[in-house]
Amino acid sequence: MKITKKIYAKDTMTSEERLQAAINLQVPDRVPVCPRIYYFAAKYAGVDNADLYDPATWNEAIDKCFRELGPWDIINPWGFYHIEVISLIFPMKLLVPGLTLPRDSILQFLEEEIMEFEDYEWIMKICRQTPSLSFLRLVMKWEPKIWSQVPKGWKGYAYIMPRLLDHLITWRKEFKQWAAKGVTPLSGAGVEAAFDSFSMARGLVNFSRDLKQHPDVIARAAEAMTPGNLYLIKSAQPILGIKRAAIALHRSSNDFISPDTFRKLSLPSLKDLVERLKAEGMSSHLHCDGNWDLNFEALRELPAGCVVVELDGTSDIFKAKEIIGDRICISGDVPASLLALGSVSEVDEYCHRLIEEVGKGGGFILTAGCEVAPNAKPENVKAMLESVVKYGYYDRATAYKAAATGA
Amino acid sequence: MTSGTIAASIAEVDEDGALAEVRKALDAGTDPLVLVEALREGMSTVGERFEAREYFLPELILSAEIFKQAISLIEPHLGEAGRPSGGAVVIGTVQGDVHDIGKNIVATMLRCAGYDVRDLGTDVPPGVFVDTAKETGAALVALSGLLTVAFDSMKATVEAFADAGMRDSVKIIIGGGPVNEMVLGFCGADAYGRDPSEAIALAERFLG
Repeated sequence: MKITKKIYAKDTMTSEERLQAAINLQVPDRVPVCPRIYYFAAKYAGVDNADLYDPATWNEAIDKCFRELGPWDIINPWGFYHIEVISLIFPMKLLVPGLTLPRDSILQFLEEEIMEFEDYEWIMKICRQTPSLSFLRLVMKWEPKIWSQVPKGWKGYAYIMPRLLDHLITWRKEFKQWAAKGVTPLSGAGVEAAFDSFSMARGLVNFSRDLKQHPDVIARAAEAMTPGNLYLIKSAQPILGIKRAAIALHRSSNDFISPDTFRKLSLPSLKDLVERLKAEGMSSHLHCDGNWDLNFEALRELPAGCVVVELDGTSDIFKAKEIIGDRICISGDVPASLLALGSVSEVDEYCHRLIEEVGKGGGFILTAGCEVAPNAKPENVKAMLESVVKYGYYDRATAYKAAATGA
Repeated sequence: MTSGTIAASIAEVDEDGALAEVRKALDAGTDPLVLVEALREGMSTVGERFEAREYFLPELILSAEIFKQAISLIEPHLGEAGRPSGGAVVIGTVQGDVHDIGKNIVATMLRCAGYDVRDLGTDVPPGVFVDTAKETGAALVALSGLLTVAFDSMKATVEAFADAGMRDSVKIIIGGGPVNEMVLGFCGADAYGRDPSEAIALAERFLG
């Protein structure tokens, strides 16, 4: 979808051009900003978190944030309107606000087994039989274990597919509405990385045992999943119209696994998917929860200029810039605790430092760490969003000259 | 020597090997306290390797599982002598949060270190922490939380101890993903730990 409207008068690029320049490691007119707001919008708009499952309420809430605290360049498509669709991406049992939690709670994941050890072999089998459909077959095996309302077998597909399609169509409409405001989507379709989805679906105790006793089985099953993950992303792309794929990595940080385990068991399937997406002309937006400090070096194996690594405030983002900044766009990382508990001047100071150091020479997107904390102070969110105007404009001629001379 | 083999098996996170050795030692009539000491020695090595970043979360989780299984085998053979020798510790995930991976590991490691641990589970209201600390006489309370909304619950729990007139007699430590110095200041707790090893060190600092 075409975006023509500029966000600020001083801008010389549209938000789409700005985001693409950052991903491609070029120098945009200024640092792009994406707030990553979900539950915060409910609190700010005075509705319950459970109300966000209604598209109209979610859109009103996020639009209020945009009008009163924004603007911003990039919107993350986080509206989920059918709870079962969340489980296609995050294969875990859930406690849901308004269903199994009070209406103003936030969604929480339960560490229970929904994938049996035998499923690794079954995954490899279905990946041989029907590689493109493997993702769908796998998650449809898990869905009835998570939600009692989802029937087993083909009836489960009949239950889920219309809801998935409804999401895609609703997101497409929302993307168009945002485009009219000059805002571009962060990404289109997405998946949880294969290794990470196994960790979530097995539960941490079982998965820890698998890592110790059967690491080769995990690696083979993860690598087998790539065609299915790619097929899902490619299938949704024409509907959403966004050539940026989201890949969530909730369990590959060094809070969970060693850098050696990451390199041997998680990275190969991730790299395969990123390279295949690149061949399709798509970039990969890696949502990297937790501390990735010891994994940065391995991320250099990913292709340059088509990957975003999004950090949540736990990793050393300044170290990331040093190690991977020449190959990978870095996104982050105003910490949740700073937005919730800090002062406006502290937020401003941290954003200024991010822009000056991580934003140096381009390849940077300013975002909240993971997401804006539900209990963030609105004035802090505003300070974060305004910092790109105060400090984020590049002197592009100087920046390119510096890059050319290595200064 | 069996106890040395048990400690080594736990240190190597060899679940089957460690449990087989424990069973063998019990069958041979080995003093159960010697076996408990071997478990602690093995867990201590795991902790050291975790601090040295040689081990990561899977090794902590698995070794805690081994400890729990092994202690359940040994417990029936322990008499009064097997009672925890350290002080009482109350631990739980604060109200509004159900995450318990980190909390469970810390609880197991505290037990392993000899503390009398009362684990209250998840989503624990402030009053329950206070009541349990009163009941057990615990001088240390450990609050866990992964969500940012847990900050308010941690603060409310610290305040509940103050309201109950127990703030001077109870040390409160906090931990969990987003917890840092800023959160510590906000909550008014006594200290925070970034990982289970730090939690154990804090327990030793406050309880000896």
